[in-house]
Amino acid sequence: MNPSPDQAVVAAEALTKVYRRAAEDVRALDGVSLTVRRGEFVAIVGPSGAGKTTLLNLLGCMDAPSSGRLWLEGREVQQLNERGRTHLRRERLGFVFQHFGLVPTLTVAENVALPLVFARRTADGRVSRLLEKVGLSSRRNHRPHELSGGEMQRVAIARALVNEPALLLADEPTGNLDSVTGEAVIALLRQLNAEGLTVVVVTHNPALAGAAGRQLRLADGRLAG
Amino acid sequence: MKTSWLILPWNEWRRRPVRTGVTVMGVSLAVAALFSLVAFERGYRRGLQAELDRLGAHILVVPKGCPYDAASLALHGANWPCHLSADYLAEIRAVPGVKAAMPALMSALRDPAGQLVVYVGTDASLLGLRPQWRIRGRFPEHGAEILAGCELAHRYGWHVGDAVRLPGLTNVSATICGLLEVTHGAEDYFIHLPLAEAQRQFRRPNELTHVLVRLADPTRLDEMVRQLHGCGAGMNLNVVPLTHLFRTFQQLINSTRSLLACIVVVAGLVAVVGVANALLMAVGERTREIGVFRALGASRADIVRVVLAEAVMVCLAGAGVGIALAVAGARSLEVWLRTRLPLVPAGGFAAWDNYACGACVLGAVALGALAAWVPAWRACEVPPQAAMRGLGGGW
Repeated sequence: MNPSPDQAVVAAEALTKVYRRAAEDVRALDGVSLTVRRGEFVAIVGPSGAGKTTLLNLLGCMDAPSSGRLWLEGREVQQLNERGRTHLRRERLGFVFQHFGLVPTLTVAENVALPLVFARRTADGRVSRLLEKVGLSSRRNHRPHELSGGEMQRVAIARALVNEPALLLADEPTGNLDSVTGEAVIALLRQLNAEGLTVVVVTHNPALAGAAGRQLRLADGRLAG
Repeated sequence: MKTSWLILPWNEWRRRPVRTGVTVMGVSLAVAALFSLVAFERGYRRGLQAELDRLGAHILVVPKGCPYDAASLALHGANWPCHLSADYLAEIRAVPGVKAAMPALMSALRDPAGQLVVYVGTDASLLGLRPQWRIRGRFPEHGAEILAGCELAHRYGWHVGDAVRLPGLTNVSATICGLLEVTHGAEDYFIHLPLAEAQRQFRRPNELTHVLVRLADPTRLDEMVRQLHGCGAGMNLNVVPLTHLFRTFQQLINSTRSLLACIVVVAGLVAVVGVANALLMAVGERTREIGVFRALGASRADIVRVVLAEAVMVCLAGAGVGIALAVAGARSLEVWLRTRLPLVPAGGFAAWDNYACGACVLGAVALGALAAWVPAWRACEVPPQAAMRGLGGGW
């Protein structure tokens, strides 16, 4: 495969991840190659234990592959040291977690501004604009425990966007939501994608997978189709 | 708007107020002990030096016996167990290099209410040793005149010109010819009267309790002490240089200082362990949250900074509480120490001290940095993928 790294937001070639568990090697990913082009909405689906989250960890520069190569916006990730990968996560990637990952002691606005704190940047109205975009302007001074699950996930999405990432990675973003609030989150992700944001989600939710433009099916650490 | 990273450590401590409170109290006890030690050390030294300076003398001449007991009696006023012959005064004054020698006969009596009244019989040479004294009225010149310390005058409601019965003495009256304004020393409670009158009232004719000697050239102190020992009366005298007295008393309180220092060290170690333990628990409970921070772009240094700030914040809060506790308890500590030390200055010596305060703040920051070391290292080892599934830290 020619990953054409310059044209893709993400390009992976023969990614393999092997974990050592007791005396046994567990091959969580086995030679996965893929390309995600700018503006795509890709869903990674598959049964539990198929390696979806492992793949997302690698795409998000949160873990290093055992072998294979990975490019993000043309930069080969293996060439980067710890500091370089941190910089990439901070500047070019946005993350949405199944458990929302909000800091309970911070307000909604402070949670959204958190990546800016680590980037040592001022908000310049971005937090307000994003809260308006996700429909939570009136909740900016509330704390996470005062929000519903759907609202918390929308705060998490706003936080993922505050650094204007090139790629949004979401791990089961509707996993902790009921179907109605899940639909609202799916609609928001579709809207963001329609505005040009590249989105990769890992999901078990058929509705979310169906909303994506492309599905990648993982089974036993390999792409099935 | 720029959100400060300090909200992270600040909010972390607010998240668990009970744990935070207990940790702060642990630090505050250590800081209170440190503040007390430093304030006591400096206050005692300052107080003792001021007390010796107030004497206005370089050498104290006392009867044979323990010179340090005698010094304590001379400084604070009491009945003396033995006396000097007044004839020695002339010999002391005759030693070359003695600028002034002030004779004193001291006696302490109880008034009808049971309170101690200290009488000092002396002469006008005392004024040469105490140029800092401010007297309303004048120094006593005749037998039936007294100079009263301001606190004593306040106790009895005395004014200049009053004819009063002398407390502790039977049917003895005198006129208050002068009131000594505040000296912040024991003399605020003394009654000064002419030496001859004191010798008559206390039935000590031709006797003294001590002589204060001021030298023409204080740099010749050792030589002057040798000369005083060598004079005709030298065999019957203890000649005590006040600088030696200062050093000796400092050495005598070393055991107290060492005890306090041990308490400070133990309390400091306990506080370090307490803060480190609280931080380790907090880091362990927040593994996933720290993973989220890392996923959102926090560097290892950012995580270390947050944990370090948490430790320093709680230690500074502990420093504030500890200093307040130490200042509030200073009076009780002083009362306790007064019963155990060989000599304590008359004024308060365990009070507010800027230097002690600064030492406590710096100590608290150092304590926080020390306590944060292991938790910060643990926290910055949390991988970003801990954000995904809430990996247990295993610690």
